[in-house]
Amino acid sequence: MEAKLSSDLLRGHTDTIVLGSLLKQDRYGFEIYSRILERTGEQYELKETTLYSSYKRLERDGYVSSYWGDETQGARRRYYRITEEGRRLYRQNKIDLEFTQKIINDLLKEDETE
Amino acid sequence: MNTRQHIEELFSGYEETAALADFKEEMESNLNDRIAVLKKKGLDEQTAFSKAITELGDVSALADDLSLKRRQEVFSDMYMKTRSYIRSGRMALYVLCGAVIGFGLVVGAVAWTYSGAAHSFLGTVSVFCGAGVLGFVFLGLTQETAAREAMPWKRALWYVLSSGAALFGVFASAVTYFTDSVGLPEALATLIPFFLPGLALGVFLALTEKDRSKPWVVEFRKKAVEREMERFAGPAQQERFGLICGALWIAAVAVFVLLVLLVGIKFSWLAFVAALIAQMLVLSAFTKESGEK
Repeated sequence: MEAKLSSDLLRGHTDTIVLGSLLKQDRYGFEIYSRILERTGEQYELKETTLYSSYKRLERDGYVSSYWGDETQGARRRYYRITEEGRRLYRQNKIDLEFTQKIINDLLKEDETE
Repeated sequence: MNTRQHIEELFSGYEETAALADFKEEMESNLNDRIAVLKKKGLDEQTAFSKAITELGDVSALADDLSLKRRQEVFSDMYMKTRSYIRSGRMALYVLCGAVIGFGLVVGAVAWTYSGAAHSFLGTVSVFCGAGVLGFVFLGLTQETAAREAMPWKRALWYVLSSGAALFGVFASAVTYFTDSVGLPEALATLIPFFLPGLALGVFLALTEKDRSKPWVVEFRKKAVEREMERFAGPAQQERFGLICGALWIAAVAVFVLLVLLVGIKFSWLAFVAALIAQMLVLSAFTKESGEK
């Protein structure tokens, strides 16, 4: 059987994915978007508005901050920077996710052996 | 179509706020970058554009959020703290316009008493009151209120021109009539070349006017219409109600005229009272029907 990527499952972790892509450097919307596309082999049918909602939500709650880049030519880009609270949330979410993954794995294993 | 146009179209129904303008700019640069990448991959301009647009998804929820914030602000402004929209500078101008009109009236009255001629009164009044009234027109139109956004001052100036021409016509014809005692036809001849163009310009402006109501007013109006619709069982019902009321009022006017001829003006107005009562009865009958359904 061929494995398919569950977009619904991924969408629930949009905030964490966004935070993760900001850990090393500030990025703007398109960078974050194309990074996700690359890493999922363009399989994830992510809508850009899902990301925009995520930026707005994260910014409102103080997990990221944003600023306009100083592009000398072309349109301005809006960059996002992760805050300390954002890093904390990322780590917490990652721990929670790993824990949940483990539980799910255990649960599914149990079901198959029964 | 370029991305800017497309984005503007996406958000055409939303009130422009600083947050929304920011967001549109952000979207535009991201969208253009995405299109550039897709084109590099070998897609043609049109395909790249439509692919990027599809990837965008539904913006309405975001736009609601970015534009609704302002709505709530205005809403709370309206009900929580009845904030004053008139700044002190404007306030002074309003007072000044009022003073100019008052001054004109007083000076005109004095001039009339001393000269005993109506035209000396009219002449003074037309200059001062005209200026004052036009000032009020301009200030009033460019005034932001709790329910309405301000009109751009350029457009307001057109209104001033329109009402100025009409006012000038009225005053000039009045002066012609009283001063030269030339009779009504000549007075009308003075009136028409100013009044009619002024009126025409005014009608044109009014017809091309856009709704400047604040979002909460639009919302409120929509709700009122919905409530109105709920009262009736359906649009057909409402239409019938409208027709009956129309007939009722035409009949009331006819009865009024008849009563004026038969018994005089003293009692004829009762026709309108009767029509009003009848309209309320009809409305209640219609409302009950829909309530039972």
